Amino acid sequence: MDSADACRSDDRSLYGLRVASEVPAPDLPSWTGDDRAPDLTILLGEAPPLAHAVVDRPLLQIGADGQCRFTVRGVAAYLVSPDGRAIVVAPEGEADRAEVRAFLFGSVLAIVCMRRGLLPLHAACVRIGDKAVAIAGQSGAGKSTLAANLLRRGFPMLADDVTVVDLSAGTPLAMPAFPRVKLWRDAMNRLELPVDGLERARPTLEKYHVPVEEGFCATPTPLAGLVHLEPDPKAPMGLRRLGAMEGLARIGSIVYRQPLMVRLGLRDQQMDQFLRLAAALGGVRALRRPETPAELDAVVPLMSALAS
Amino acid sequence: MSTGGFYWIASYPKSGNTWMRLLLASLRNGGNAPDFDRTFGFAPLAGQLGDFEQALDVEPSDLTHEELAELRPDITLLLASDLTEPQFRKVHDCWGRTPSGRMLFPPEATLGALYLVRDPRDVAVSWAHHSSRPIDNAIDFMARASTIAADPTRYGRMAQHLSSWSGHVLSWLEAEPRPLVVRYEDLLADPAAMLARAASHCGLGAEPAAVDAAVASTRFEALREAEAEKGFYNGQTQGQRFFRRGEAGGWRDTLTPVQADRIARDHGTVMERLGYL
Repeated sequence: MDSADACRSDDRSLYGLRVASEVPAPDLPSWTGDDRAPDLTILLGEAPPLAHAVVDRPLLQIGADGQCRFTVRGVAAYLVSPDGRAIVVAPEGEADRAEVRAFLFGSVLAIVCMRRGLLPLHAACVRIGDKAVAIAGQSGAGKSTLAANLLRRGFPMLADDVTVVDLSAGTPLAMPAFPRVKLWRDAMNRLELPVDGLERARPTLEKYHVPVEEGFCATPTPLAGLVHLEPDPKAPMGLRRLGAMEGLARIGSIVYRQPLMVRLGLRDQQMDQFLRLAAALGGVRALRRPETPAELDAVVPLMSALAS
Repeated sequence: MSTGGFYWIASYPKSGNTWMRLLLASLRNGGNAPDFDRTFGFAPLAGQLGDFEQALDVEPSDLTHEELAELRPDITLLLASDLTEPQFRKVHDCWGRTPSGRMLFPPEATLGALYLVRDPRDVAVSWAHHSSRPIDNAIDFMARASTIAADPTRYGRMAQHLSSWSGHVLSWLEAEPRPLVVRYEDLLADPAAMLARAASHCGLGAEPAAVDAAVASTRFEALREAEAEKGFYNGQTQGQRFFRRGEAGGWRDTLTPVQADRIARDHGTVMERLGYL
């Protein structure tokens, strides 16, 4: 990247990657690491449909060379290079809308991570002592709400929705995402958080980006536990360790965009990474979603025990 | 050709949809009593946001309701192409089209449909109980063409466009392909015969012994006992029983003459067509 590009680009940090982005990314922390070249370049440009896609679905195309195109009509189209080192964004309208970033830092970044050998989990992540615990669950399971509640109780947050794990060094490392929580208005009301002046994920949705300033943990942290949140009121209380097969059966709601990873041809990588992760953490745990302040209080020592 | 695809079990709310699903689930299980913990694995609700996430690789709560509505036929087609056997889905939406005019339930992904219909005067009473609202309010609800069930601002499912009771019935009577229409009253009068017809419409075997066993294990008293013992949550307001009365014509001792007349006025044409007037 030459200096002219550097002037136009935001120099940011995400999941431990140095990100040079022409799409304004005010929700990402500034890069404060070493002087390396950007790990990921996000450019504005053209992102035409792929002519010979081997996977051709309503929002996703995958080319024979591994290039991916993801598109949401009216928002933007995104092209991801086969090596996961470059994204071209073609916004429909202004580039600095929150909705352009909603899909960029969701499914599109998931493709980048998978291509680069990082495992994205559909999980919030909090730091307890010097370890991290990931709280996984499907959409609507209450990950962000639990993370926001733990934040209030003094536990720094690494991620509220997608926890990216680096398994390359042996010990799984949770990589910091960005200092914000996405919350629905009703969850904010329950937490007594004001919505005034906050950015919405999409202009017509009651889903808000709540900045987290003090409580954000910006350093990669060894992951000590993986907890699968169960919103089922019939599930038993407390934390319970799942057997190997039981844990594996939940891969679909633990790995972020799990079917997408399979569509990318990375089924074996996914299985290998998931099994290594589960083994390193002594298995996956299930936790019934805490519903009341008392149940939340009861969760804290369970999580602390997991991290120690 | 893939053997996968969907059978839609469609109805306005409170019209026998759950009973029909329990009957079919029991029939497929040799007539055994339905397991309340697993029944909805048999015919889950169509249009769940989890389906979107699975099929579209996107966070459905990042999409607007209009985008979700437009993508819905795509989801159905994608899910159908992955199926290796027929799948049953519960539907409360009225039959219709997306904002751009595509059919919401694409015929290419549809193996067939059952449409359950019930006297709207009984529906009004049942809906009032189910949703803990005054009967007059339920009657208003059933008369409004813009009615949406499932709060679209809540997470977990798509908005279900119901239309009015008459609009709902008419939409499904003209659906492509045409459904088998099952009147709740006929199902009550002769459950074995109606179950056999419904099963055969859905390509299921209907051995008389299994049909009789399925009818016996889903009789109203049995379901009510099972609900009392294990609970049965199916969208009703907290504290309300789901299996309440299970009768036809119960409205006669509940609705005032003014309320009954109003329903007949709101829906007379369609009620006549179905033999309710």
